[in-house]
Amino acid sequence: MTKNTNYIKRLIFSFLAVALIAIPTSVFAVAPDGIKKDMLETGKKVYFKRCVWCHGVEGGGDGPSADRLFTRPRNFIQGTFKIRTTDSGELPMEADLIKTVKNGLQGSAMPAWGEFLSDNEIVSVVQFVKSLVQDRDFNDIEDEGVTVQDFGTNPWGTTGPYHLGVPQADIDAGKEVFLKNKCFECHGGEGRGDGNPTMKDDWGFPIVAADWTQCWNFRGSRRDAFNPFNVVRTVSTGLNGTPMPNFKDQVTVEDRWKLAAFVNSLCPRKNIDPLTSKPIPDFLIQSVYTEGQVSPNIDDPSWQSPDTDSRIVAFPEEIKDNPKRHYIAMAGQITRGKRNFDPKTDDLWVTSRWSAEDNAVYYLVEYHLRFMSQDPEYPDAVAIQWPAKLQDLFGAEKPYFIMGDSKKPVDIWKANFLAQDYNATNAPKPDGYKLKVDVEEFVGLGFDALSAKESEGKVQVVDSIYKQGRVKIMFKRDLKTEGEFDVQIPTEKFIPVSFLQWAGRDKEKDEHMSISTWYYTILKPALPASLYYMPPIMAVVFVCFQGWLVWMTKRTRKMYDEGKMKRDELPK
Amino acid sequence: MNKGLISFLVFVVGLAVFHNAIFPIFTPKEIGWVLNRYVYFLIFVAYLIITNLILRLKPPIAMTALFVWGLGFYFYKFILYPPIPWTLFITYMVMWSIGTFLFVSQDPETFREFRKPIVKTIVGEYKFAQIIALTAMPILVGFATYNTIYPSYQEPVELRTVHPAPPATTKVHGKTYPLESTNNPFRVDEQDNYKDSFPFLDADKNEYMKYVTEGGTIFFQNCHYCHGDQLNGLGMFSHVFNPTPANFIDPGTIAMLQEAFIFWRVSKGGPGLPNESTPWSSAMPPWEEHLNTEEIWKVILFEYWYTGWHPRTFGTEGSEG
Repeated sequence: MTKNTNYIKRLIFSFLAVALIAIPTSVFAVAPDGIKKDMLETGKKVYFKRCVWCHGVEGGGDGPSADRLFTRPRNFIQGTFKIRTTDSGELPMEADLIKTVKNGLQGSAMPAWGEFLSDNEIVSVVQFVKSLVQDRDFNDIEDEGVTVQDFGTNPWGTTGPYHLGVPQADIDAGKEVFLKNKCFECHGGEGRGDGNPTMKDDWGFPIVAADWTQCWNFRGSRRDAFNPFNVVRTVSTGLNGTPMPNFKDQVTVEDRWKLAAFVNSLCPRKNIDPLTSKPIPDFLIQSVYTEGQVSPNIDDPSWQSPDTDSRIVAFPEEIKDNPKRHYIAMAGQITRGKRNFDPKTDDLWVTSRWSAEDNAVYYLVEYHLRFMSQDPEYPDAVAIQWPAKLQDLFGAEKPYFIMGDSKKPVDIWKANFLAQDYNATNAPKPDGYKLKVDVEEFVGLGFDALSAKESEGKVQVVDSIYKQGRVKIMFKRDLKTEGEFDVQIPTEKFIPVSFLQWAGRDKEKDEHMSISTWYYTILKPALPASLYYMPPIMAVVFVCFQGWLVWMTKRTRKMYDEGKMKRDELPK
Repeated sequence: MNKGLISFLVFVVGLAVFHNAIFPIFTPKEIGWVLNRYVYFLIFVAYLIITNLILRLKPPIAMTALFVWGLGFYFYKFILYPPIPWTLFITYMVMWSIGTFLFVSQDPETFREFRKPIVKTIVGEYKFAQIIALTAMPILVGFATYNTIYPSYQEPVELRTVHPAPPATTKVHGKTYPLESTNNPFRVDEQDNYKDSFPFLDADKNEYMKYVTEGGTIFFQNCHYCHGDQLNGLGMFSHVFNPTPANFIDPGTIAMLQEAFIFWRVSKGGPGLPNESTPWSSAMPPWEEHLNTEEIWKVILFEYWYTGWHPRTFGTEGSEG
């Protein structure tokens, strides 16, 4: 009986809802999407095969993996879902959950299931997840009315994948909205999520604000990282269960789009791998030949270049020959010894120049770090790792990527640093913090066989700063040195190189760190002079050849016409 | 209207329409006997021939040669699948160009006809074409020279062996296992009997699901970072490492290997690989450092249960523990 009246209630409700949606307004609540009971059995099967490992037997977000994940798996019991189109605090629509399952949540362990499960399985598992919600009820049409928001449409009509072409005036207007609503208090002065180190989610677990300069890690990016809609939706609906509020009433829809344009303008355009939703790493770090001396100053114009791929957005004319920023993907060292399951850094940007006159190579290493260490015992650190005996390696051979092995040593240039006058709770400081840097050089014969070099240290950090959530360290070393385990850096040769990083705030040290795989670097030579004289010479030679061809052809013609020669005759 | 021009339009417009409208129809996800790219190409060629015959266009031989050459280019560039590397493409196109030349020079008549527009351009009877050709080509030569001289660097290509030859025995936690005759001690039953069972819920009811649950727990505490929640090698750290982590869904990995082989690979990890498998870059831990023998076997059992593959076995003996 109750089931029947429920059904009638729902029918009336949906009828009303449809009638009201016809009026262009979103103030009227509609019923949440109820649970389709007939799909629960399939859903349970899918859930217990695919989802239970993280989300747990009762959906409490406490599966076996949960304690080793930063950004823990969702706890379904309270019915708190982050990525929705409904008002802040409300239950999500079924379509929202389906999109989450299909696209995954980028930057977390939740993968995209769209290509793995059938549509029926996805809808079923969503029903099962809804049935795991205990504190709220998707079938309660009276108390759980939801308001699907109207987000308007993209005012600039930009298209994917990169959504370029938003007028600068609108981006600037978006920045005003950003300042006025104090988004920097959590997201930091330049949006790297470095505003507030004390945030907790509804369950008391630590949580950090999104880094806008890595939009491919937005949970709600829906595998469409550069789409401003994602930002508009999050700003409008807030993220339930987190400190992210909604700005539906404070900011008009038009201004939310402008804010989204500003937020998106901070995210460098990189080619995104559709399988992993991460930028494709730049596996070859090109060190640019520099006339005269290289400037040892990070702010010098010769070191300026955007993170954006120059093939997607060309560099401005005045810096077009500057070295590009190479993207290095980082992950926790989860292979040997004390493993690091929750690294705080997953990107590293490397720019390099070298000079023959200087006889030195410079590597500017940058990475995003929300909060620095304030503990001298655990400073932050970053290191460049090289094969120490490059000349002994044959073919593709390299030392083991985690600090070398017993036969093939590595040369590690490590910079330990602490920011001066820094406190993680400080307001954004546009000038950044000076770093107190201490350089160490190690020989690695394995992660547990690391020793300080006996020879004199030749690596210098010539400039460094921590500014708005970005660490910048410029290494310098002579191409050739005396030390037995110093890498000798040849020009025009591919040299293996990799990167290590330690977050002091997480008490990372030794092999408990972030790591990249082996990359290559090459010191590019100066452009050959023949580049400027050979093309005209070849063109002139070709003109002469053309002249000869025309002359010959005309002469042959003339000979035919004068009857001195016969045209080719058909064989009889 | 000039018949040659009509023929040219038939080719160009036809190609545009076919490529943009009809080609997608012939390249569905599930390739069939009719709906495939090669049938599409044959239909396009048939369309060209039939249209030209019906309209009695008889394009000049130079234009026919252009069509033939263009068809070859189109085939190698867009139709042939999987796509071929550009060096091979250049080789094929050289062969195809020679073939086209043989076609036009099949008899002196066609060859003379073929030469006619070229000669007329050279001697200046087609004044406009001559000016364009004589100025454009040196510029192209200049650019080509510039591009050849301009230094460009690509990262070196590295080849590696995916499934290295296994040793005869492997020693894990002090015990030696002969790879040929070792079976998974936790494979206590046929895995297909448990397709409709639930980990955790049925772990108390039957032994097999208990081991799967334990194996899955280990997997999701240790392995999913690289091998992924879907066991497809796309875990949250997978993009960082090179070589990329193994995809167990793929029929080329655990589906074609013995459990003992996997036991060896899991226990010894990257550092246990021979040189041809580039052990220095593999992020696979030697799991004997983190897990005990039983845990390793249970993870392997879980991987087969989750993916639905069966381990490869030799001989007729069952896989009782």
